[in-house]
Amino acid sequence: MYDLRLFISKKGRIKFVSHLDMFRLMQRAVRRAEIPLWYTEGFNPHPYISFLLALSLGVESEGEPVDIRIVGDMTPDEVKDRLNKCMPEGLLVESAVKPFNKSAEIAFGEYDVLYSKDDINENELFEALSSGSLTCEKSGKSGGKKVIKTVNVSEHIKSFVIGEEGDDIMLKVVLPAGSTFNLNPIQLSQAVSSYLGKEVIPVRVLRTALLCSDMKKFS
Amino acid sequence: MDRKLERILPLVQKPARYTGGELNSVIKNKDEVDIRFAFCFPDSYEIGMSHLGLKILYSAANGRADTWCERVFAPWDDMEEQMRKNDILLYALESGDPIKDFDIIGFTLQYELCYTNVLNMLDLAGLPVKAADRKGLSPIVMGGGPCVCNPEPVAEFFDLFSLGEGEEVNSEIMDLYKEHKKRGSTKEEFLIDAAKIPGVYVPSLYDITYNEDGTVKSKTPKNGAPETVTKRIIKDLDSVHYPDNFVVPFIDVVHDRVTHEIFRGCIRGCRFCQAGFIYRPIREKSPDVINEQCKTLCKNTGYDEISLCSLSSSDYTKIEELLEKLLDWTGSEKVNIALPSLRVDNFSDSLVKKLTGVRRSGLTFAPEAGTQRLRDVINKNVTEEELLETAGIAFKNGYCAVKLYFMLGLPTETLEDVEGIGILAKKVVDAFYMNPDKPKGKGVTVGVSASSFVPKPFTPFQWEPQSTPEELKEKQEHLKNNLPSKKINVSFHHIPTSFLEGVFARGDRKLSEVIETAWRKGCKFDGWGDKFLFDNWMESFSECGISPEFYANRRRDYSEILPWDHLDFGVSKAFLINESKKSVNAETTPHCRIKCAGCSANKLNGGKCDV
Repeated sequence: MYDLRLFISKKGRIKFVSHLDMFRLMQRAVRRAEIPLWYTEGFNPHPYISFLLALSLGVESEGEPVDIRIVGDMTPDEVKDRLNKCMPEGLLVESAVKPFNKSAEIAFGEYDVLYSKDDINENELFEALSSGSLTCEKSGKSGGKKVIKTVNVSEHIKSFVIGEEGDDIMLKVVLPAGSTFNLNPIQLSQAVSSYLGKEVIPVRVLRTALLCSDMKKFS
Repeated sequence: MDRKLERILPLVQKPARYTGGELNSVIKNKDEVDIRFAFCFPDSYEIGMSHLGLKILYSAANGRADTWCERVFAPWDDMEEQMRKNDILLYALESGDPIKDFDIIGFTLQYELCYTNVLNMLDLAGLPVKAADRKGLSPIVMGGGPCVCNPEPVAEFFDLFSLGEGEEVNSEIMDLYKEHKKRGSTKEEFLIDAAKIPGVYVPSLYDITYNEDGTVKSKTPKNGAPETVTKRIIKDLDSVHYPDNFVVPFIDVVHDRVTHEIFRGCIRGCRFCQAGFIYRPIREKSPDVINEQCKTLCKNTGYDEISLCSLSSSDYTKIEELLEKLLDWTGSEKVNIALPSLRVDNFSDSLVKKLTGVRRSGLTFAPEAGTQRLRDVINKNVTEEELLETAGIAFKNGYCAVKLYFMLGLPTETLEDVEGIGILAKKVVDAFYMNPDKPKGKGVTVGVSASSFVPKPFTPFQWEPQSTPEELKEKQEHLKNNLPSKKINVSFHHIPTSFLEGVFARGDRKLSEVIETAWRKGCKFDGWGDKFLFDNWMESFSECGISPEFYANRRRDYSEILPWDHLDFGVSKAFLINESKKSVNAETTPHCRIKCAGCSANKLNGGKCDV
């Protein structure tokens, strides 16, 4: 029995499948692939599959970490090959490795965000991101009650680069991610929208990597 | 993926309903097929993707190299709003292509209250809703499913209907279509030929005239269309196409598991039950075939639950043999088995023991009526003793919740029958407390669900008036006010919904105008309580000068020409009249295995019936 960490890319229309639905999807995929997973003990046993971090609806990814526990001696490569024969369109196991970092070490997410030039130009985007006064509303919990908090977005932007890609504007940005605080490019875009006073919806958002606090790739 | 679509999807609920790309969905090269087929389910994705018929026919059509069959569901209102705002036409999930350019658009009509959704989907597709306004050969709009046993209320919107089981006849329709497409035929030429296929009903080839009182006067077939169209059946369930693959949805749908049909038809002959008559004759599938197909399906989908489905699972003659075969491998594979639709009178101890190996939910029984007299009227051959004995077995095996289904408004029903529902439910409560092995520290809940009876075509009650909304209201109040125990929870169906269902179930072509008017007033998703706009419906009836009561609450004479009389679903009218007469005297008819009741449905299968 050993623990295995899969990095699964999620691209194309499957980005509209929610985090909750991904769990059920993986459960079925491992059944089809006949991978000998460890089952939780208890009243209603289910295979141990753990998505380390949620990916927002509509966001694509180069590799989301998913931990599973293998019973027996099937090799990581065989697990990967078998799964890749059974995955729905758009999902691919990019690598299957022994876990190195602990999931709590995830500190940042690195994103490629594409905006249409019809919505925003480079100068506007640069001005907004450098303004120091971007805010967005985030729902959270306080004392068991749902509350809406206003979050200072600017202070959380770790780094950004603006460029071009075809007819679109490409923003490469690093934002906090992990179990304590998360900020995603959709919330960032909302902050930009309210700063500029017009609706700016990204055309495409891709999470390229998860990083630890030392900015090394989570692995 | 279309960029316009990609931009609106983040704005709607559960966008994965609209993306396609699910596991096992069929992708073909559109340039390599002759027929593009849109299989439309006129309700939400979650409902449609739960439907076994769609899975079977989707897989059968895609089994043809010349056909690409794709799925289409009714967009929820948030998506509809975005589609209309952004000029996105209704598209098929597999290809994303607009269905207006398809060859055939097929709707399955499962429920009368989905009719406005059909119109709405045609409109979203950019097509005229009336068949007469769609001039070209394509798309041909066809309908199938249980509602087509009386499709007259929607006759004006469809080019043709396929009666009965579709596995074979759909293919014959596609063959003919392909030929006509090559020949460059007009729609009329194709339809005249299609009407010659057994089981195909082309409504435009029948002239209907009416008497002054609104009843049907005559029906005249034209251009060689048959006087009577007989439904199609599959003779051998073991050899007919069954999918080895289901499309596995991303989101949670209503029935998200392997479903396997174990037999078609029903031996019981409950007089209110349309399904019990229109799916005759009985044909069983053999346990080995079912077992193997279940194994394959679990392997190809990754599902961990199998549901065996039929109208009455415990009437399957080889049920215990089948369960043994399944339990042989499902345990080690961690697959659960669900067996819905069990009957009270043959729910055996050994069957319940086999089922305790699998995950247990609540138990549901359907006595349908509160007194023995009324159960005899409806031919629900279940006695109080049988119900209490079965409840006893269930309680002994650890069940603490039982749900009982009843109907209000059955023919000859009195307030005494209504009180009988509460009395019977109380006896079930008592049976729990009398059980010496009852689980300690647990109480019992008996749920009573009382729906409203809707008389349906091809049943012995097809001539009966439906109880008026006022009568139903009174009966609901009476039941609620006379409950003898606090352990009984009672719930009711929405009366206006049942009323409308009653109108359309036995309606005629004059209702097409009402349906179109109501849809233009915003009616859709009528089966969803919160979307149901009863006032808009009533306005539509009055604007069209049509009385809904004429259809719902009127007693028909046996001699009246009924709107569906030119359709033949196997059971003979003489049999239905005889059953109707017996019901008035609370005279029962034993089930088909005790004695053949002579319904004549076996004529569809060369005299054969698997009783």
